[in-house]
Amino acid sequence: MTARDRILSAIRTALGPGKPPAQIAAEAAALLDPAGIARPHLVAPVLPDAFALKATALGTTIDRVASMADLPQAMARYLDAHGLPPRFAMQPAPELAALDWQGLAPHQGTAPDEPTALGLALCGIAESGSLVIHSGPDNPILMSFLPLHHVAVLRESTLLPYLEDYAARLSAQAVPRNAILITGPSGTTDIEGSYVRGAHGPGFLHVILIADAGTEPG
Amino acid sequence: MNAPSKAPFKARAKAALADPVLKTAIDRTTGNAERKRAAAVAAFPEFEAARARGKAIKDHVVAHLDHYLEMFERNAAARGAQVHWAADDAEARAIVTRICLAADARLVTRAKSMLGEEIGLPHALADAGIERVETDLAEHIIQLAGEAPSHIIWPAMHRTREQVAELFKTGHHPPPAAEDPATMVQSARTQLRTKFLSADIGISGANFLVADTGATCTVTNEGNAELTTTPPRIHIVTAGIEKLVPSTAHAFALLRLLVRSATGGEMTQYTTFHAGPKRPGDADGPEEMHIVLVDNGRTKMLADEFREMLRCIRCGACMNHCVVYRQIGGHAYGGTYPGPMGSVLTPVLDGLAASRDLPNACTMNGRCAEVCPVGIPLPTLLRAWRRRSWREGLEPGSIRTGIGLWAQLARRPRLYRLATRIGLPLLRLFGRGGWISRLPLAGGWTDHRDLPRPAAQSFMDQYRAQQKGRK
Repeated sequence: MTARDRILSAIRTALGPGKPPAQIAAEAAALLDPAGIARPHLVAPVLPDAFALKATALGTTIDRVASMADLPQAMARYLDAHGLPPRFAMQPAPELAALDWQGLAPHQGTAPDEPTALGLALCGIAESGSLVIHSGPDNPILMSFLPLHHVAVLRESTLLPYLEDYAARLSAQAVPRNAILITGPSGTTDIEGSYVRGAHGPGFLHVILIADAGTEPG
Repeated sequence: MNAPSKAPFKARAKAALADPVLKTAIDRTTGNAERKRAAAVAAFPEFEAARARGKAIKDHVVAHLDHYLEMFERNAAARGAQVHWAADDAEARAIVTRICLAADARLVTRAKSMLGEEIGLPHALADAGIERVETDLAEHIIQLAGEAPSHIIWPAMHRTREQVAELFKTGHHPPPAAEDPATMVQSARTQLRTKFLSADIGISGANFLVADTGATCTVTNEGNAELTTTPPRIHIVTAGIEKLVPSTAHAFALLRLLVRSATGGEMTQYTTFHAGPKRPGDADGPEEMHIVLVDNGRTKMLADEFREMLRCIRCGACMNHCVVYRQIGGHAYGGTYPGPMGSVLTPVLDGLAASRDLPNACTMNGRCAEVCPVGIPLPTLLRAWRRRSWREGLEPGSIRTGIGLWAQLARRPRLYRLATRIGLPLLRLFGRGGWISRLPLAGGWTDHRDLPRPAAQSFMDQYRAQQKGRK
C-alpha cells in the first residue's frame, strides 16, 4: 500500500462515509455567508482614502497623481527625495515603456543590489492597504523583492474593498504561478522585538496612486 | 543543529528558571506580543464572529479531509506541481532528500517552516551532505548558534541583541559594523543575498493549501519566502495535511485571525500563493515544484480525542499568554512545538512515555483557550493526556501513592475535616505577608513559586459558622 492509500484509508476509517461533493461545496460556501459579519470595516467611506490610510499606517508612502502621464514626474520626485540615481529597473510592460521618461533612465532586468524598481500593481485592497501582483511573462517576481526601494503604480479604478473581492476576482481567471499580496515594506522583529525595515525585501514601498480610469494594467 | 536536550523536563525547566538573561528575553517578546494582540483584537469588533467562522472552517475541512486532499492533489497536479505523500517523518525526509540528490543539489535555501523542524529536515539535509541556508532572520540566528527554535513565530526570541551581535561577529564576513538591530539586519541581508541567488533548491512550508486552486500559501514579513522559492530551479513545499482550506476566500478568513493572533498585525507584509512551476514565457520562477503532504500522527489525532487540535493554525498566541512558557521559554519543553499547543502535540509526535511531564506543566488557568483564534480547548486536551498517562500507568509511583492517599482521605469526610483542622494552623505558621515561600518537604512547590497563606478556618467550618449565625 502506498503512503497515499494509507493516509486516505486512515482518514476514511476515522470519518466514516463521506457526503456528495456538491453538498460539501454548498456547506463550504455557506461558511463564508454573510461576509460582512466577520471582517473589519473600511477605515474611510471611499476606497482610495481607505486604502491610503491603511497603507500609510504600515509605512508605505503614497503619492496621488491625476493620470499615467504624471508618472515620470512622480518617479523623478521620489528618486530625488531619497537621493537615488536616475537609473532604475522597470517592469517590461508596454504601458510603462510608452511614457516619456525625460531625464530618467529605466532599464530592464533587476540586479541583486538594485536600488529601485518600478512596477504595476494589478489591483489594490482597501481593507488592508495591500497591493496585488501576479507573475507572468511581463512581470518578474524578483523585481518586487530584490530592490531596496519598490515603487508600485496603482490605479484607483482597480481598488477592491475587501480580501473576499480579490478572492472572487482570482477565482474568475486562470490561476497564476504566483499571486502576491504586498502589505507594506519588508520588516522583521526577530531581534528583541525591535522593528527593522528592509529585512530581505524592499525597505521602502512607495505607491503612486493614479486617479484616472484608463485601461486596467496586467 | 543540536538535538533538543535529553535531560528530563524538570532539569531543563530548573535550568531555564535560573537564567535571568533568558527571562528578560522572553518577557520582552511575549509582553510585546500580548499587548499588540490585545490592541489588534480591540480594533476588530467582529473578532468573535471571525473566530467562530475560523473554527467552523477548520472543522469543516477536518470532517471532509479526504475529499479536500484529493481535490488539492488534482488541482496542484493540473498546475504542474508534483504531489508526494508521506505517512511519517522518515518518509517525508526521504522524499525531500531524494529530490535534492536527484537534482545534484549542493545548496538549499529554506524559508522557516515548523513542519520542516517537526520532520527533522535540517538533520536530513546535513546527513545528505547538502548545505542548508536558513533565510528567515530568526532561523539564521539560531542556525549560527546551532540551536532549535524556541518559539513558533519568533524562533530566536531566547537570544538578546548582545548575543546576536556575538553570533554575527563570527558568522558574517565581514562582520556587522555596529551592534544595533538595524545594522545587524542589514548585514544579514547582504550575507544571504548571494545564497538566495545561487541556491539549487528552495524549500518552504505552507500556511494554507488551497484545495480549489492547488496553490500553497506562505506568509512572511521579511520577503524571504519569495526569494527562497523564485530563483532556484526547484521549489519543494513540505506541509501537514491539516493545512487545507476549501478556497482562497477561506484562507483569507483564517489569515485575518492568524496575523492578529500571532503578531498583532492585520496582514503579513507578503502573502503569497504558489501554484505550480514557472509557466511558458514566465519571466522567472522554478522549473519544478514538489509538494510533500505529511501525515505524521495527524490521522491518529483525527481518530481519537485530539481531533480538535487539527484546527491549530500555528499562531503562537497560546504560548505568548502561558504563565509556564513565560517562565521557562521554549527549549525547556524539549519538543518541536513548545507551550500549550506543543504540550498537546509532543505526546502525539514523541510518545506520551517520553513527554508525560508536559501536560502536567500546566496551571489550567485557561488563558490559552481564551486567546486561541480557532477555539481549541487546550486545557481539556491537556487533561485528556493526564488521564491517559494515569490509565497507561506512566505516572511515577510517588505520584500514584500520593494521589491514592489523598483519595482515601477525601472519601472520608470526617477524617478529611479533622486533617484540615490540624493542617491549616500548621501551614499558617509558615506564612509571611499572605504568602508561604518556604515549607518543609514541599520544596518542589516553594522553590520556584509561593503558596498563598490559607485562611484560619476551612471553607466547611466557615460555612457552618455562618449558617448557625443565620438561625
